[in-house]
Amino acid sequence: MNGTLALAGAEIKRLRRNRRYLIFTVGLPVILYLIFSKQNATAYSVAFAAFYMVGMAAFGAFSGAFNNNTIRISQERKDGWIRQLRLTPLPPNAYVSAKIIASMATSVPAIVIVLLLGRFYGGIHMPAWKWIVIAVTIWLGTLIFAALAVAIGYLFQPDSVQPVAIALYFLFVIFGGLWFPLSGGLKSFGEITPTYWVMKISTDVINTGTIPVTGVVVILAWLVAFVALATLVVRAKAEAL
Amino acid sequence: MSHTGTGPVVSFDNVSKHYGSLKAVDGLSLDLRPGETVALLGPNGAGKSTSLDMLLALRKPTSGKIRMFGADPYHAVKSGRVGAMLQSGGLMPEVTVRELVTLVAGFHPRPVAPDITMKRAGIAEIADQRVDRLSGGQTQRVRFALAIAGECDLVVLDEPTTAMDVETRQRFWASMKEEVAEGKTLLFATHYLEEADQAADRILVINRGRLLADGTPAEIKERAGAKRISFRLDNVSEPYLLGLPGIVSVDVRGDVVHLQSADSDATLYAVLDAGYRPREIEVGSLGLEQAFLAITAEDDRGNDTVQAQPAKEAIER
Repeated sequence: MNGTLALAGAEIKRLRRNRRYLIFTVGLPVILYLIFSKQNATAYSVAFAAFYMVGMAAFGAFSGAFNNNTIRISQERKDGWIRQLRLTPLPPNAYVSAKIIASMATSVPAIVIVLLLGRFYGGIHMPAWKWIVIAVTIWLGTLIFAALAVAIGYLFQPDSVQPVAIALYFLFVIFGGLWFPLSGGLKSFGEITPTYWVMKISTDVINTGTIPVTGVVVILAWLVAFVALATLVVRAKAEAL
Repeated sequence: MSHTGTGPVVSFDNVSKHYGSLKAVDGLSLDLRPGETVALLGPNGAGKSTSLDMLLALRKPTSGKIRMFGADPYHAVKSGRVGAMLQSGGLMPEVTVRELVTLVAGFHPRPVAPDITMKRAGIAEIADQRVDRLSGGQTQRVRFALAIAGECDLVVLDEPTTAMDVETRQRFWASMKEEVAEGKTLLFATHYLEEADQAADRILVINRGRLLADGTPAEIKERAGAKRISFRLDNVSEPYLLGLPGIVSVDVRGDVVHLQSADSDATLYAVLDAGYRPREIEVGSLGLEQAFLAITAEDDRGNDTVQAQPAKEAIER
């Protein structure tokens, strides 16, 4: 366990040094929020500034856990870093565990910064527990993408993983309604995505103070499915070069 | 340190690895004893890397059994008793050399101080450089440093000196000898024959996944036919030459005859006794390279045709 945590620590250090990672997980959401949040409109029955705050926090956190990890895992598998780690006394799941721990840790500042921006720039006021529920919901959503990133990173070679990752990511971002609220046919489709329910749980908490049970079930189902997929893929690829 | 006695450090018992119809490793049996420096010598595709992968629990044998320190390879690796460097092993980018060596040392139950490891591996002067900005030879030395970042009893190296220049290679083997002087067992794969000859006290020659020869460098040379004989002689038939005592291989081009013989004296006397009077007789030793080529060539021919059957018998004598 100590070895796994040390590896996770090294992963976090790498991420902090990576400018591209910081731009996409923190920089871009902050800039988009500064530009687009001030609209005199409502979305899912809350002020647009509140809706957009949740959307941008999730956009940055999910991007950090998914886009970045798929490419790195695929590359590190090809380079042999994963094989190198298997020659050390580290437990066999240490690599994947460390990636997920690092994703979860680095998503915290990405989420907190956008929520602070919502409070002080977007002028959103609500009780402390609501802030916490929203942050935790987005954070759990991040875990879904961290698990999916492991599966995709193991399944695809470095030269093909990027388009696959970007396509999947924007599918979840757009059909989950992180950028704009869903309505009509798009909404009935979006209701099967975990990203939609991260938004809906958060806006329902802001609006009514209640958590939709459907949303919790859908998010947990995706989490279980992607963790299972990642486990299967990692096992299947264990002996392949 | 439950196992420091005289039992084998590594044992392969009739180990095979098949990929469909390809036999990458085919019934390999061997033992490594404590403190030995052993070279696994063979051409590309001989099964060296596959054997090491199985030893290090990265791949499972199709059949047969591998033991390391009396345990299965996976547990031996996870107990930190083995330090390994593979050709296919990579490094974590975006960190410095020192950070990486320190990280990996921390995974071991008996870590070596990173400064000592870096000095041994000859990377102290690049400690603060980023891992992804090193040359090929420097990268190779960092991989070596990771292999010796923990105190271990067996070091396994797969083609350790590829991408190193001559000077670096010599430095590498000098530091390796210091490592081994502490009583460690060393197993390395190579296709540099010189390296096997100079660094190892035992050579295992493998080809087509099978063990062809096992002995000291001197014994390997002898096994392949220690001497080469050449002379000029008209009108001599190849079948006759192949029937001479001690003969390993025969090559006739016009009147120029090249022989390899396990007993050059007996071969030459037989030629003279038969009434031949060859000219420009030369007798010399085979280098390890020629010995190695002879051993693997006999194996390849033995598999392809029956043409060189007498020669093959000579080598398996």
